[in-house]
Amino acid sequence: MTNDTDPVAVPVAPPWKRDFPYEALSEEEVTRREFARYLVLGAGTIAVANVGLAAWTQLRSINTGDPRAIIPLDDVAIGEPHLFRYPGDDDPAILVRLSEAEVVAFSQKCTHLGCVVYYEADEERWHCPCHEGNFDASTGAVISGPPTRPLGRIDLEVRGDGMIWALGRQT
Amino acid sequence: MRASDRRRRTSSAVVLYVVILVAFQVFLITVAVEAFQTDTESVAWATAAVSVALFAAAAAFLRYLRP
Repeated sequence: MTNDTDPVAVPVAPPWKRDFPYEALSEEEVTRREFARYLVLGAGTIAVANVGLAAWTQLRSINTGDPRAIIPLDDVAIGEPHLFRYPGDDDPAILVRLSEAEVVAFSQKCTHLGCVVYYEADEERWHCPCHEGNFDASTGAVISGPPTRPLGRIDLEVRGDGMIWALGRQT
Repeated sequence: MRASDRRRRTSSAVVLYVVILVAFQVFLITVAVEAFQTDTESVAWATAAVSVALFAAAAAFLRYLRP
């Protein structure tokens, strides 16, 4: 009995290729192409993230806050700051009584990179220790340093019972 | 220069270009995050536009790696 079919040829690597397994040029190109594809995929992911961040920046609603009682005016000494949260529980704010009649409050987040600002009574200014940013005590305007925008001001009202109320935060 | 050497150098250059573009994309994402934190919409959209353009350029470079 004979077998009509040809025997299947099993490719056998030559001895020199087993001893010296060089990669062919075409194999190297395939590897680089795959690598480049992964890079481009990453670039596309970052581009989508950038567009998403821009849309989020555009569409998010800034919570300006509802009117809320903060502290009685008599409990705040002139030149002494008072820390509170406004408009939300995650939003640090700071209030200072500059004179008998003038009380101001601002978001405590520096408009540069979000560090916490402090009141410097000697200099009568708000100071950000991270990058030496300074803001006017009364208006929150930038005096010096890297910030380019004023502090977020919180509108205040002293009502008849002597209580200081926060009316909303300017954006 | 032999054709194989030329192809090898071309593929290396293309991969290098793509690596540079992706590195710039990483920088742009930091700019976008800062724009988000400071609520600067114009910067955020400009960053997104440049990022998409870089992605398109990186994808276009892939054409030179096709066999």
